[in-house]
Amino acid sequence: MAREDISSMKERIAYLEEKAREVRFHIIDMIYVAQSGHPGGSLSAADIMTALYFDFLRVDPRNPRWPERDRMILSKGHTCPVLYACLAMRGYFPMETLHTLRKFESILQGHPIIKTPGVDMTTGSLGHGLSVGLGMALEGKLRRKDYRVYVMLGDGEINEGHVWEAAMAASKFKTDNLTVFVDRNRLQMDGCCDDVMPMGNIDGKFSAFGWETFHIDGHDMEAIVTAVEAARKVTGTPAVVIADTIKGKGISYMEDRFEWHGKCPSEDQYACALQEIRGER
Amino acid sequence: MKAIPTKAKNPTRRAFSERMVEYGHLDQDFVVFEADIGYSTFSYLFGDEFPDRYFNMGIAEGNMVSAAAGMAADGRTVIASSYGVFITMRALESVRTYVCYPNLNIKFLSSHGGITAAIDGVTHQATEDIANMTTLPNMKVFVPADTVAARKLFDAAVTTPGPVFVRLMRDPLFDIYEEGDDFVPGGSRVVREGKDITIVTYGDILFQALEAADMLVEEGIEAEVIDMYSVKPFDRETLLASLAKTGALLVAENHQKRNGLGYELSNFCLKQKPVAFDNLGLDDTFAESGAYYKLLEKYGISKHWIVKTAHLLIGKK
Repeated sequence: MAREDISSMKERIAYLEEKAREVRFHIIDMIYVAQSGHPGGSLSAADIMTALYFDFLRVDPRNPRWPERDRMILSKGHTCPVLYACLAMRGYFPMETLHTLRKFESILQGHPIIKTPGVDMTTGSLGHGLSVGLGMALEGKLRRKDYRVYVMLGDGEINEGHVWEAAMAASKFKTDNLTVFVDRNRLQMDGCCDDVMPMGNIDGKFSAFGWETFHIDGHDMEAIVTAVEAARKVTGTPAVVIADTIKGKGISYMEDRFEWHGKCPSEDQYACALQEIRGER
Repeated sequence: MKAIPTKAKNPTRRAFSERMVEYGHLDQDFVVFEADIGYSTFSYLFGDEFPDRYFNMGIAEGNMVSAAAGMAADGRTVIASSYGVFITMRALESVRTYVCYPNLNIKFLSSHGGITAAIDGVTHQATEDIANMTTLPNMKVFVPADTVAARKLFDAAVTTPGPVFVRLMRDPLFDIYEEGDDFVPGGSRVVREGKDITIVTYGDILFQALEAADMLVEEGIEAEVIDMYSVKPFDRETLLASLAKTGALLVAENHQKRNGLGYELSNFCLKQKPVAFDNLGLDDTFAESGAYYKLLEKYGISKHWIVKTAHLLIGKK
């Protein structure tokens, strides 16, 4: 189905689910070719990123720095395979570029850089993306532009105090053009979030900072679409969507396993993953 | 240069901020970020004049710099204001990865450079700021020695593409320059000509160097004094021309010796023009609270140390 032919919510969701499947294929494929990368968090964020790039974002891949464009900051920059897949599929650069991930002189660096077409800001050292998004939201307000800014945070990443400095400031400046996602996959590099650094009630924390909060299943496409639409309607405060997700979602042997944070599949595992994504297993 | 330097009414931090307000009328586009010390950096003057272009981020320098990066991502110029210790250490990763790496137009108004935050003590003395900032690719570093230079270097900072760090001082310095004197990126000023030794310095220590040069004259030594106000990039041509004359280089700075301008220039000289060399600065130590002049004496950066070291260097030529 082509994007233009969508007439119902059901078709819209089906279209996005198919796109998410393609995104997952490219994530695994590019990491396998690179023999390096972060599959777990790329897969947990894949459905939300797909909804953004194939439904919500007002962007022009032929004019990546279009001043009126919506901005998307992948604060959990190590999961850039999901971003690169979306950008290639939207036509920012050729699909074969995905096979240059992490390679010498590639535009697809190990963590995103602003020079890559479609990447709005360099990210990778955790905790800064919300601040950057805040700055872009303030820029939009000051220039009286109607673009929106989206930021994707990891739930391990929000250990960083920097995130909460930005949360405070976004509330102060009433940046209602800012929508943030927390990819709540409950795993970080060294293990379970609750063991490494329990964040407790994340909704309550943002709420206490003055944010409007939403909580969804981050793999339910209809819930994602509904939450983004609701978040965009919030006025006077920034909005956050806490999305319960599964690290490694879509590949059975990766799901909910922290060791797949930054590991490359073997040849057999790669073949198995592709079969699962195609729905053959 | 003025005939007889006199103590200024205002510190360079205030002169810089006052120029920022004037410039704010000429250029409607740049904005200012502050981290709750606006009444100390004098950035509040800009906030009073242009409230819509002034963003107080509270006591959160890391967020201030990363948010400034977001605002600057599509080309806008942002001035980010705080003390040197906070910009160059607490917010260092933001400065490196989110400002210098994407090469954004962010200009740092960095007050309380060196031990001029004297009585505040070590927590507020930025004595490693030049080392941290000059190490970062794309970053330029300017240090005005008086209020005229501070105003001119504001203009240079906002008209130079990419990140610029401007080190300013807490206390008033001596007026050295005339209104018509020029200050450009990569430039320097030969404030006093001489043939026996080259003294290179920047910021508040320029006055110490000039006083030292006066004392050396009485002993028959003609020192050339260069104000290397553009610490990065520095003026190689002027330095080489001076060293060709004098054959001796003394660098004095209100900073750690290690990785300051002295280290930079000694490295340069080893490759380009080996000469008798020494440098003055904090010798791998922290300073302390106390009167500015007492600290300069104790930590070996005063005019007396410059004179003493100049003698030793000339003997080594």
